[in-house]
Amino acid sequence: MSAPERPPKILVVDDDPQIRRALTSILATRKYQVIAAADGAEGLNLAIEHNPDLIVLDVAMPGMSGLEVCRELRTWYRAPILVLSVRGADRDKIAALDEGADDYVTKPFSAGELLARVRALLRRASGQAAAAPVIVIGDMEISIAQRRVRRGDQEIELTRTEFDILAYLAQNADTVVTSKMILGKVWGLEYRDDTQTLRVHVSHLRKKIEPHPSVPRYILTEPGVGFRLASS
Amino acid sequence: MKLRQYTPGLRDYLVAVGCTAAATLIFLPLRQDFAKGQWALLYLLIVVFIAGLGGVRPALLSATLSFLVWNFFFIPPYGTFRVEDPKDWLSLLVFLAVGVAMGVQTGRMRERRARAVARERETAMLNRFSSQLVSDPSIPEVARLLADAAREITGASAVALLIPDDSGAVKAVFAWPEETLAFDAETLALAAWARGQSKAIGLPSPPEGTQGQPRDWPISITHREAGATGNRRDLFIPLQTPSRQSGVLYVGPVEKGAGHVAHRVALLLALVNQASVFLERKHLQAAALQTEALKEADHLKSTFMSAVSHELKTPLASIMATVSNLLEGDVAWDREEARRELRAVQSDLDRLDESITELLDVSRLEAQAWQPTLDWCEVGDILSVAISRLPPDQRGRVSHMLPPDLPAIKVDFHEWVRVLAHLLRNALNYGGAGSRVGVGARAIPNDVEVWVEDDGPGIAPDERERVFEKFYRGRTATGSSGTGLGLAIAREIARVHGGRIWVEDVIPHGARFMISLPRAPASEVAKP
Repeated sequence: MSAPERPPKILVVDDDPQIRRALTSILATRKYQVIAAADGAEGLNLAIEHNPDLIVLDVAMPGMSGLEVCRELRTWYRAPILVLSVRGADRDKIAALDEGADDYVTKPFSAGELLARVRALLRRASGQAAAAPVIVIGDMEISIAQRRVRRGDQEIELTRTEFDILAYLAQNADTVVTSKMILGKVWGLEYRDDTQTLRVHVSHLRKKIEPHPSVPRYILTEPGVGFRLASS
Repeated sequence: MKLRQYTPGLRDYLVAVGCTAAATLIFLPLRQDFAKGQWALLYLLIVVFIAGLGGVRPALLSATLSFLVWNFFFIPPYGTFRVEDPKDWLSLLVFLAVGVAMGVQTGRMRERRARAVARERETAMLNRFSSQLVSDPSIPEVARLLADAAREITGASAVALLIPDDSGAVKAVFAWPEETLAFDAETLALAAWARGQSKAIGLPSPPEGTQGQPRDWPISITHREAGATGNRRDLFIPLQTPSRQSGVLYVGPVEKGAGHVAHRVALLLALVNQASVFLERKHLQAAALQTEALKEADHLKSTFMSAVSHELKTPLASIMATVSNLLEGDVAWDREEARRELRAVQSDLDRLDESITELLDVSRLEAQAWQPTLDWCEVGDILSVAISRLPPDQRGRVSHMLPPDLPAIKVDFHEWVRVLAHLLRNALNYGGAGSRVGVGARAIPNDVEVWVEDDGPGIAPDERERVFEKFYRGRTATGSSGTGLGLAIAREIARVHGGRIWVEDVIPHGARFMISLPRAPASEVAKP
């Protein structure tokens, strides 16, 4: 937990000098404190030395891969890890999430996209979202304690399961949430593989909260991974 | 070695007659010295001898002749077939009976032995043939082995193995005698027909004692049925397994115009079957190899795709991140900062351009449709343009020493700028930060040599050839830039110019890329 007066410290690990430069520039201009590493081993050393608030990690690196770095980091590191992967490499993304990464950005990415993910992860890590009694997503207001969802002055009726799913997504707004995580949280660990059930419930939930359920605006599907609740 | 089974010939009958006559001529002066009955034993001796020599039938002939001759010359009254003493009739008949019995018995034994010897030879021949196949001969070798065996078995005047080529037309892969190779159209048509229909042409009926159509006796038709016009006596035997027709064995007519004998053909078919199975195996092996080659090509393709996607996507990702960063409305960019961002975009664009050019070069070189544009050039000119392609902050790390009297070379200027620029970039990258890069050149009697060397860690001996392979990236590569194509392209460019490129060691450490180009270029540039 960073003190308010200290800007969050971010470690960037990417073997490509140009991408590293772009990431550093994007983050540093937003007053984040940036440290950069050119490979996995250097990244691990800098992580130990600086204990950053967030790590941006390229999955595909020669030598020690991002997945190995992730596994190694997660033996002691608790703060968020955002991985960079290539479009189409779904397996890499899923493997990275399994190794404990919190979210991913697909290359090529825009500065805005990267910054949104970074902000979401830092917010979640700060514990603000999880503790908030009311979460506002777009024009929706989710009262966690009262288990109620309102749009304007209109109450949206949700079943218990639907509310649990929405609340969990909202607490992790703007970051990816895997199907397993939702299933484990809402149904219990023994139901972690029942993705079909989850899809059915998400479909019901979309019908109730999305303006156009067939083209969702809030609950976005992350193919092969899970869902992401878009806050804006 | 003759592999014909023994059947008595004219010679054997003549011997039978001759021996009997000769014996009579010898016996005749001694007619008075022995009792008339004793001659019978001597003639029996002749019969047995003939039986052992020529088999049953000559023995029977000999027995009959002896019977007559004995009667005529040795039983009174001499010189007639009349018999005075009725007891002599008995002797004569007993002699005939005993002679025939002994002749048959001895003759059969002789024939049986002859058959056993022949069978032994056949077995030996089959064994020899199959053991030759075990050593995995090439297809022409198999053709020769089979043709030799066919010649040995049948005594044919010509043999050949015909196998379809890529276009599907049957062609002789081996023929004896060699002039047989030039087959006339009808023979080729018959061979193609035999292969296409999986039927033999001109085969005799199966040997006696086999019931119906023996399993390994192919269906055979006459030459006329297959469309031949003349009177032919040759054989066409298809080489086939249930799954494949590999070719046709041609066996010319046997000497003296005699037809092919069934039991020899049976042995021939056994060899043909072995050869067919072998050729089938060869075919499967070739198919497996081809699959392997396709796999290899597939692997290369996927390596290519991943190199392409990495080399094109990485600068793109960097450009996108940088440009979108500039466009984000939340930061007020000052002029200098914005320029710095744009310079990064420019360097990414250079990198993209380089990668795209390399990828296009590879496809161009692979299509082998590329010819250099040759002109007289100074090495120094090429080098200065190549250095200008390097990032400005790197140029100072390159030092050069070119002799003033270096002859001009006739090359494609732009291609060699690219090769040198690539070698320089490589040396700067792989030599490690702060390493020095040197360029040198010299003229030797026939060539001009140009080299680029660094004082980095060098290249391990086992990598010195591999670095020129497509997509190979050295083990010591630190950055991830490069398609892994640059050196492969450089080698191809050198080759097209009739020159060479290779790597040497630098003492105490470092790598030296040597280029050697012909001094007086071949009036004709090496064709790709």
